[in-house]
Amino acid sequence: MRNHASGTIAAIVATLINIAAAFLIGALLIVAVGENPLKAFGVVWTGAFGSLKGFSFTLYYATNFIFTGLAVAVAAHAREYNIGGEGQANVSGLGVFLVGAMLPFLPWPVAIVLGIVAGMTFGAAWAFVPAYMSARRGSNLVVTTIMFNFLASLLMIYLIVNFLRPTTSMIPASGALADNLSLPRMDRFLLTLGINIHENPLNITFLVALLVCVAVTFLIWHTRWGYELRAVGENRDAAAYAGVHVPRVVIQAICLSGALAGMVGLNEVFGVQHRLILDFALGYGFTGVAVALIGNNHPLGIIPAAILFGALYQGGASMAFMFPKISREVVVVLQGLVILFAGGFVAVLRPYLTEQFDHFFTRKVA
Amino acid sequence: MDYLTIVFVTASALRLAVPLIFAAMGGLYAEKSGVIDIGLEGKMLFGAFAAGACATAFGSSAAGLAGAIAAGILLALAQAFASIHLRGNQLVIGIAINIIASGLTAFLGIAWYQRGGQTPQLDTHERFLPIILPGADAISNVPIIGPLYAQIISGQTVFVYGAFLLAIITWLVIYRTRFGLRLQACGDKPEAVETAGVSVFVTRYIAFTINGALCGIGGAYFALVQGGAFYKDMTAGQGYMALAAVIFGNWRPGRVLAACLLFAFADAAQGRMQGAMIGDFAIPTQLIQALPYVLTLLLLAGIVGRAEGPLEAGRPYIKGER
Amino acid sequence: MKEGTNMRKIWNLLATTAAVVIAASTCGPIAALADDIKPAILYDLGGKFDKSFNEPAFNGAKKFADEHRLSLIEFEPQTEAQREQALRTFAEQGGNPIVTVGFAWQPALEKVAPEYPDSRFIIVDTTVDLPNVESIEFAYNEGSFLVGALAGLKTKTGTVGFVGGMDIPIIRDFACGYQHGVHLTKPGAKVIVNMAGTTPAAWTDPARGRELTLGQYEQGADIVHGAAGATTLGVLQAAADAGKLAIGVGSNQDDVQPGHVLTTNSAALDVAVYKAFDAAQKGTWKPGRVVLGVKEDGVGWTLDDHNRPLLTDADIAKMNEIKQSIADGKIKVPSYLANGNCPAE
Repeated sequence: MRNHASGTIAAIVATLINIAAAFLIGALLIVAVGENPLKAFGVVWTGAFGSLKGFSFTLYYATNFIFTGLAVAVAAHAREYNIGGEGQANVSGLGVFLVGAMLPFLPWPVAIVLGIVAGMTFGAAWAFVPAYMSARRGSNLVVTTIMFNFLASLLMIYLIVNFLRPTTSMIPASGALADNLSLPRMDRFLLTLGINIHENPLNITFLVALLVCVAVTFLIWHTRWGYELRAVGENRDAAAYAGVHVPRVVIQAICLSGALAGMVGLNEVFGVQHRLILDFALGYGFTGVAVALIGNNHPLGIIPAAILFGALYQGGASMAFMFPKISREVVVVLQGLVILFAGGFVAVLRPYLTEQFDHFFTRKVA
Repeated sequence: MDYLTIVFVTASALRLAVPLIFAAMGGLYAEKSGVIDIGLEGKMLFGAFAAGACATAFGSSAAGLAGAIAAGILLALAQAFASIHLRGNQLVIGIAINIIASGLTAFLGIAWYQRGGQTPQLDTHERFLPIILPGADAISNVPIIGPLYAQIISGQTVFVYGAFLLAIITWLVIYRTRFGLRLQACGDKPEAVETAGVSVFVTRYIAFTINGALCGIGGAYFALVQGGAFYKDMTAGQGYMALAAVIFGNWRPGRVLAACLLFAFADAAQGRMQGAMIGDFAIPTQLIQALPYVLTLLLLAGIVGRAEGPLEAGRPYIKGER
Repeated sequence: MKEGTNMRKIWNLLATTAAVVIAASTCGPIAALADDIKPAILYDLGGKFDKSFNEPAFNGAKKFADEHRLSLIEFEPQTEAQREQALRTFAEQGGNPIVTVGFAWQPALEKVAPEYPDSRFIIVDTTVDLPNVESIEFAYNEGSFLVGALAGLKTKTGTVGFVGGMDIPIIRDFACGYQHGVHLTKPGAKVIVNMAGTTPAAWTDPARGRELTLGQYEQGADIVHGAAGATTLGVLQAAADAGKLAIGVGSNQDDVQPGHVLTTNSAALDVAVYKAFDAAQKGTWKPGRVVLGVKEDGVGWTLDDHNRPLLTDADIAKMNEIKQSIADGKIKVPSYLANGNCPAE
């Protein structure tokens, strides 16, 4: 029990040290353009957490990161690295859009269910071929999913420009969906309570994301399939020996991974854009890998990790708004550094800290 | 396609293959040593920027190339430190390298040149130009051999010849030198290497130094030959294709080279086929643009079969374990 | 002729009104209206230095801000979701007027503009029909038609090329106008069309632009028009490397590879943005739709010291004649956007 607590505290402290290290280097860039890094980072903080409005934006971004982070985590439990979240999310948008376009009369409670089904189905379908190739043919999942990311962009631009776009519109985007399909939004809800946070993209999909976290936790740690999944991840030969159908479990895991990434389509199409646009998933897929890593592939870790990256997006935008000299490139580097240190330090820092905390607690008890 | 078209497409494929070959061979060293590298894209981009900046600053193409190599090595060593010493997640580190390179090159470009991340346009003497071999003009009208010699064998930049030479050298290094054997052992059985008294860490750092230098050269090609300057995000996904080539080539230099050439050929043909018609039906541009990716997938699924990659690739080595 | 004098009368009237307004503004309560300007500009995802549409818009905005010693508020979005957020933030910070560059801002602006009825918005490249929005569109097909006509005049091989960024409607509009222009001066000429890519990288890939252009030269083209953001610079590089000709896009690129850039398919985004700010400051700004074509000098072909040696007097005369015909409406330039396809010739 004590050990568990040390591990958790160590994970949190390690992550905080990572962020501090990333911001320290980021500070150099901000000094280089002639701004005060403390002020700038203060704006990142207040932008992301300082107001209900900003925090809602943070949670909206976090919604997408929770989905792509969970996607990576599920596959990672089978020791497979799905970095195709980008493409799977992209294609899932098509599925969600088609539901909305074909059934425009649906009230939102029905639409959200069908949207979830469609988004997950399209995401899973886009992951199926790489999954099959990985499990049956031994093809490297990293490479096949990258190829499928490229193919997803191709497919979407083709369909949107040639079929889904209103003929006389020059925007490479579909027409707008019916209003009744729009998911309930936080800003509207708060307005009924008399709180005005203006227009804000945070919608009910965030709650769906939390429910999905519960479902994934249950699935991985409390079902037979989850046990098999973890067995495959531990040692494939041993799992096979124990009677687990390894390729089947691997394919299922990667498809589930794609399905989870596909939930981004629900958030973006029904929740925010109410239409299908090009490249709406840009950047979420790759960042999901870092979210899963920081979150230690566990939903309880993924939620705060997703909020961290949501805060970087939202706070980074606030910083760019406030300081004209700090361009979005600085924000990109900052995000990259957080990912680098998350990937680079965690392995060394976490076990070390766990040990230290263990010593600390043991001494206290003794 | 008539003969002349094939000659032109082949020439174009050779030009397109250069950055793929350099990055893929670089990736091969890293992966053979047991470290997965999806940061090829970022290191090439960083190399391209350094090439553009140094060529401008010193007014010479050689300085540009040197700068690119240095920049590639620098970033590769940072990646190596995080992957090897800190035992980080190699995929995540690679992704981070790509994101940082994209942001940092644009940031430095804007700060130094105020042109939105672009470096100044390079003069002819700051670039590498095609080398016309003797007699190319004289025999270019000779049927069959003429175009072949004038367009494909002659008229290429030093990078094209260098890329083929590199593939041969890489083969020799990996299969015919002691270092190569250690490198492979590092990727397959690191503990055995350590038992034999050779440092796994040192071997992997050497592999990454080579990796960075080659990525830098690949990047320099973008700025010094193709673009004539550095532009923001100019590597445009070629690093990922190079990684695909390493895996499709099953981690063997000859096959990796073949894979690079095949991808480049598909890419060159793709450019030619856009707008093609089947009867009255125009083939969608996107379908033709999908060619290189679909080809990669088909080949990965069909030919490679079970991958024979380094056994320990992706797993950090911890001294004294096992 | 009569119409001309009428027009002049209207202009005089307008000028007088403007003068009165300005005079009044210096000493009256209207002063707030005329001086209360805080220029703001929002770029598209490509960023303000994209060598295509954002950059001239930035130049125009910067020129205005510098001349009037105003600080320019600006933002380059990273994600789609930041669009509405950026519009609201700028409106709340008092940005007035707020220029949005690119058609992709349309849905966001349609939502945000009604929330801030006191703010003035300007959108470039598409129309948002709201009482506080001015929409500035450019007839890119006309500019493309003009440079196509020049390519038709100057081609020796009877084959010309076109390298676009992505296969999206606005680029098809460029290609369509270009093709018709080529065929005006060189009926039966072959036009090879290539697109650079399918992801946003297509706009930042000069290496590919160069390779596609070299491929088109090998297929017999001797003039290639690039319409692909920074990728276009690779097209121009290929022209220099192969000793052939290319046509640039956006702001004047004739000096990028002197002697190899036949002309630039230019759009006066800088002027349009400058004028919009200027009008807002002078109190003459009004909402509505403005289409800037050849007639309005919104789009056109460039002629300067860099490309003058490439052209004969006869070429220039012919181009001026075609330009005049378009301005007079004698030549109707077909538009891809009118009904979603390129009309046959």
